[in-house]
Amino acid sequence: MKILDLSWVMAGPAASRVLADYGAEIVRIESETRPDGARTLQPFRDNVTDPHYSGLWNNMNAGKRELSLNLAKEEAIDVLWDLVAWADVVLETFSPGSLARMGLSPDAMLERKPGIVVASSCLMGQTGPLAKLAGFGTMAAAISGFFYPVGWPDRAPCGPFGAYTDYTSPRWFVAAILAAVEHQRATGVGQHIDFSQAESAMHLLAPALLERSINGRTWERAGNKDLVHAPHGVYPAAGDDRWIAIACTGQAEWQALAEVIGRSDLGGLEGARRKQRETELDELVGAWTRQRDAVDAMITLQASGVPSHVVQNSDEVSVDPQLLHRNHFVEVAHSTQPGGTTIVEGTRFVLSRTPAAITTGGPTFGEHTFETLSEILGYDSDRIAELAAAEALE
Amino acid sequence: MLEDYRVIDLSDERGHLAGQILRQLGAEVIAVEPTGGSSARRLGPFAGDVEDTERSLHHWSYNRGKKSVVLDLDAPDGRAALHRLIAGADVLIETCSSEERSRLGLEPHESAASNPALIHVSITAFGSTGPKANWAASDLTIQAACGNMVITGDKDRPPLRVGTLPQAFHNAASEAAAAVLIALHERQTRSGLGQHIDASAQQSMNQCAQSMMLAEPTNAVMTTRIAGGANLQGIDIQLMWPCKDGHVSVTLLFGLMIAPFTQNLFDWVCEEGFCDEAARDKDWVNYAVMLLDGREPVAEYERLKGLLTEFFATKTKAELLHASLTRRVLIAPVWNAEDVLDSEQFASRGYWEDVEHPHLGPIRYPGAFARFSAAPLEKLPAAPALGAHTEAVLAAPLGTQALPSHRAPPPPIPRSTT
Repeated sequence: MKILDLSWVMAGPAASRVLADYGAEIVRIESETRPDGARTLQPFRDNVTDPHYSGLWNNMNAGKRELSLNLAKEEAIDVLWDLVAWADVVLETFSPGSLARMGLSPDAMLERKPGIVVASSCLMGQTGPLAKLAGFGTMAAAISGFFYPVGWPDRAPCGPFGAYTDYTSPRWFVAAILAAVEHQRATGVGQHIDFSQAESAMHLLAPALLERSINGRTWERAGNKDLVHAPHGVYPAAGDDRWIAIACTGQAEWQALAEVIGRSDLGGLEGARRKQRETELDELVGAWTRQRDAVDAMITLQASGVPSHVVQNSDEVSVDPQLLHRNHFVEVAHSTQPGGTTIVEGTRFVLSRTPAAITTGGPTFGEHTFETLSEILGYDSDRIAELAAAEALE
Repeated sequence: MLEDYRVIDLSDERGHLAGQILRQLGAEVIAVEPTGGSSARRLGPFAGDVEDTERSLHHWSYNRGKKSVVLDLDAPDGRAALHRLIAGADVLIETCSSEERSRLGLEPHESAASNPALIHVSITAFGSTGPKANWAASDLTIQAACGNMVITGDKDRPPLRVGTLPQAFHNAASEAAAAVLIALHERQTRSGLGQHIDASAQQSMNQCAQSMMLAEPTNAVMTTRIAGGANLQGIDIQLMWPCKDGHVSVTLLFGLMIAPFTQNLFDWVCEEGFCDEAARDKDWVNYAVMLLDGREPVAEYERLKGLLTEFFATKTKAELLHASLTRRVLIAPVWNAEDVLDSEQFASRGYWEDVEHPHLGPIRYPGAFARFSAAPLEKLPAAPALGAHTEAVLAAPLGTQALPSHRAPPPPIPRSTT
């Protein structure tokens, strides 16, 4: 599958990254005059704020080729049309209307190539009074209801970390693109996909939306408490900023937990009673965890079948034996980082027969400009020199 | 678009979203439930607060348009019926433990032997193999394990999960739906064969840590949590502010791409007299670098945050959202479920699907997750009553019929050589 990737930052690139892992050929367009914002975001290799050192950039763009094009130049638009002729899918995340201003509206592309799939993703969708709302997944998360319920009842919402919907929406976006490709395969008919990051993300909140419309209740911030189950929380462990998450969702789990913390006398408390006595039970559990190393506590609790896990930061996540077993961290080639390699995250699901291949990090500015123009588009050196002279390749 | 494909959904609340996405894309989805119904049917909240297996809002949300078939999988007959269904299916989705998978004869090699074209998806907390494959887990503990939690929350309190609703398994289930389509594309265009997809909620939810778990392996500073913002190598970057009637998310960031928006915001703040021209005209492109290397004192950034607090206190969420459209600033309101349901935006796009429920009337659901110009997604009916399709589905000669020719996998096509 060949993809012309006009997306940038996170929501679009996260989707094409998955397709790249499983063999799609991706040509990304970027201009050093208008660099992708992901290049400015942490974590930076060795803390060097170089546009090629952003771990986020490399993670989102592993395995893609990059053609440098300055889309403000007319000559660059001609190159895009040649790439449209090459591609099965065009993916873009401009604000609605931007492509049309370049002369590349989805309709124009479909007219010239009826079998193409043009996939547009933006915060709110291509239509509606808020269509032009520009921004990032933090904003789509706020406006689709994800910030409001994250936090403590006595404080302002704190929201999820970063651009939550930039990570959730690509799953739906990939499914949408591939369904359209399947439709094209079966019928020959291409189409335009108008994808709203907020609208896909709201499926993750569906029961809360139903609760509002049917029962008239709005879910408020509740820390880590569950609506039904208790104990259900994140408890302090020995040491500085060390925590362990523990969740009892069934009677057997609670009986096991009660026994481990030396309160088997309370093991018979059933669900509703536990919820009523939640504060007291949280204190008992916290008193037990506070005296223990987080990892030791987790091992003890797991041995008794209690759902529990240390709250891990990068130092522990990066050596988590389960993640290592799943090849979650992959060393890949990189053209400018020290040692010629960098580390990115691996595929998040394993296909048994056609496994993912992740071999290179994100491209440097225009890293594949020449090979894309000559090998994919068949331009000769005169044509490439003309484009360079017109400053279309900057 | 996927009308020719049949999915057997043996999952529970942890995996139902995967089948829901495939159903929205047109596939036939048969939910196989145990006697007594899926555990999702016992998850609150319930419509009208009446605890009933036909009234779980969680079950309703993720099972629309599916068929419900009840099978007693503890009995040989029930297991045989399940295997007949699987033999005639394109996709199997399950959330079994390894013990259940083995008891039901659903090890990937077993399902592949009975149906080589089957795409078999396992959605589990950590993956179906490995040292933690059999660990006790819940949504909360997976969020702790994946790296997302430690960077979410207020710095003086315990780390937080995302949302009151479970998210980790939904991240994995939605990812599994995308994975099914990758495997299906391969099957239909190359091999004609199915395969096993092993999804891990820990890894899917890790995506939401925004690559910050790469800090240690790439020798970068690890980040920690601050409420409503991000920690940039020790500096608290504030991304949310209180306003006159609630809170707003403000992308007050720097660098070439975002600086123009930040400039627009400070132009406005200055215009209204909340800051002077010196503050307005800072180098927003290089501002983060200057903060990190000390050219801009952190105290000055803190002072600017204070000015913005005063400015936002004079504005409502609606005024600030309006300004995003008219002044090109990056501000979005923190909306709750009520705000979302009342929004003109989603209504104007025809997003909501009002679905008829017997005795309860029409109920409003989130609708099509994308608009397709040639093959629009169909509105789906309500989740099925328990066992509503048992008889009809089991009576059909599933598993014995030949694949219709239009969906027969084509012969393998050689890889292109570009």
